[in-house]
Amino acid sequence: MNIDQIKKEFPIFDEKIQNNDLVYLDSANSSQKPKIVVDRINEFYTKQFSNVGRSVHYLAVAATNLYENTRSSVQKYINAKDKNEIVFTKGATEALNLVANTLGQSYLQEGDEVLITELEHHSNYVPWHFLRKSKNIKINFAEINEEGEITLEEIEKKITPKTKLISITHLSNVTGAILPVKEITQLAHSKGIIVVVDGCQGAPHLKLDMQDLECDFYAISCHKMYGPTGLGVLYGKKKWLEELPPYQGGGGMINEVKKDRISYGELPNKYEAGTMATAQVIAFDQSIKFLESIGIENVMKHEADLVEYGQELLQKNNSVKLIGNPKNKGGVLSFTIEGVHPHDIATILDEDGVAIRAGHHCCQILHDKLNIPASARASVGVYNTKEDLDQLNDSINNCKKIFNL
Amino acid sequence: MNLKELYQEIILEHGKNPRNLRKTEGFNKDAKGNNPLCGDNVHVYLKLNGQKIVEDASFEGSGCAISMASASIMTDLIKGKNEHEAKEIVEDFLGMIKENPELKSKYLSEDEKTKLMCLSGVKQYPMRVKCATLSWHTMVSAFDEKTEEVKTEN
Ligand SMILES: Cc1ncc(COP(=O)(O)O)c(C=O)c1O
Repeated sequence: MNIDQIKKEFPIFDEKIQNNDLVYLDSANSSQKPKIVVDRINEFYTKQFSNVGRSVHYLAVAATNLYENTRSSVQKYINAKDKNEIVFTKGATEALNLVANTLGQSYLQEGDEVLITELEHHSNYVPWHFLRKSKNIKINFAEINEEGEITLEEIEKKITPKTKLISITHLSNVTGAILPVKEITQLAHSKGIIVVVDGCQGAPHLKLDMQDLECDFYAISCHKMYGPTGLGVLYGKKKWLEELPPYQGGGGMINEVKKDRISYGELPNKYEAGTMATAQVIAFDQSIKFLESIGIENVMKHEADLVEYGQELLQKNNSVKLIGNPKNKGGVLSFTIEGVHPHDIATILDEDGVAIRAGHHCCQILHDKLNIPASARASVGVYNTKEDLDQLNDSINNCKKIFNL
Repeated sequence: MNLKELYQEIILEHGKNPRNLRKTEGFNKDAKGNNPLCGDNVHVYLKLNGQKIVEDASFEGSGCAISMASASIMTDLIKGKNEHEAKEIVEDFLGMIKENPELKSKYLSEDEKTKLMCLSGVKQYPMRVKCATLSWHTMVSAFDEKTEEVKTEN
């Protein structure tokens, strides 16, 4: 895998950011976009644009085919059994809201329990909280261990006879812990419990195989996957998507509309009401091609090397404290520096062109548990190098110097 | 952009050893503020005497060097001022942090102006302005006896 070559595919790295070369370590937040994705959006708007699924003219048919083509690509990429198990949404957030909302309408009952974890992003907690308010369901939290992991044992311990659903992240966007989703799913299914996976951090960095994982739902964020913003994917097992009620109502999702009755469309239209993010969907096909051209195994190996390297560097750096030390870890390095607030760290690193994120990363439950208000997070993608991590370490040292540490 | 201008010695010093980081005993006005984007929070306490003059000001909370230094300097210089004076100083400070080249309030001594001007480097860092202003908005809210938490504007 030739990183120089890969980096060249991302136009942003030709830019000077405040006179610096960009050291982009914020891919867990959102990844940069390869030229083929940007070009595809441009090409679609300039040469091929039409709305999909509505008209019979040439452009409309062509656009519909392109749109559906991405659905097939996604299906193959995540090895889903059926094309209709792929629903486009505006993001992973909408995908998770769709699941919580429709299960809340027709499946979860008052008193039922939903098990999530302390690692969850707000988008995999707040939608369940809505049901806590509206339906009186109960939310339980599986707790992290010392290393910042969620173990199968912990999940097993927190399951009660009332647990109807488990919703977990595939890969923590703070500690980097990779959860044993397959094992958790097996355990859950043996007890008749549904499994929802927040795959935001899993999808860009891990090999995905829905038929192997066997989870019931899997939410993907396309903008973290070298794809456009405003787009997400919800994978849902066909039997669920067929059985559950629609989420939003409007054009495209209906079958027949009369003054006194309405029937809904078939999958996947049933969940794609209104004009969708057409250009983004069509361009996302190029993101998948991009990942396939490198090979996910290579991506995983590259990122694992980077994390190991970065972890060693930061462990050796006095006053830097890494958050979590999971055995199975993705490309996320969260840390604090004793005596320097994460926002100050981020501002100082930015001066050197090092882009990281500071804050609670939408994981306040986790930060409360760790007893820190915020943390700094460096996260990697396919385009990062060991030199980027050296620069991170140098800039951290500069930060310590400014703060007289 | 200039990090040295942002992180002046006096800011680092106040950030490290914030003055008035405590809860005023017998306070009669207080308010909470928080920065939802980063989770930083502050609780400002004021004790006004019979003449409506700030006898003591203090704060609790956690945040970056900029927000801690700002709250520290603010609680120090607001003591001895009345509500009208304090609010004018807040206006003056917010104006300076956003655009004005200098402080104009007649209620600020030269020494106080110099101290506050140390925070002027924040101007060049739009994302950090709210760190410097949170405690000030929160103090106004305490004067006005607002019960709703102050949220920083973006
Ligand atoms: C773990 C996790 N879940 C959910 C989300 C939300 O995803 P989206 O931006 O696609 O709505 C993110 C990204 O911020 C995330 O990191």
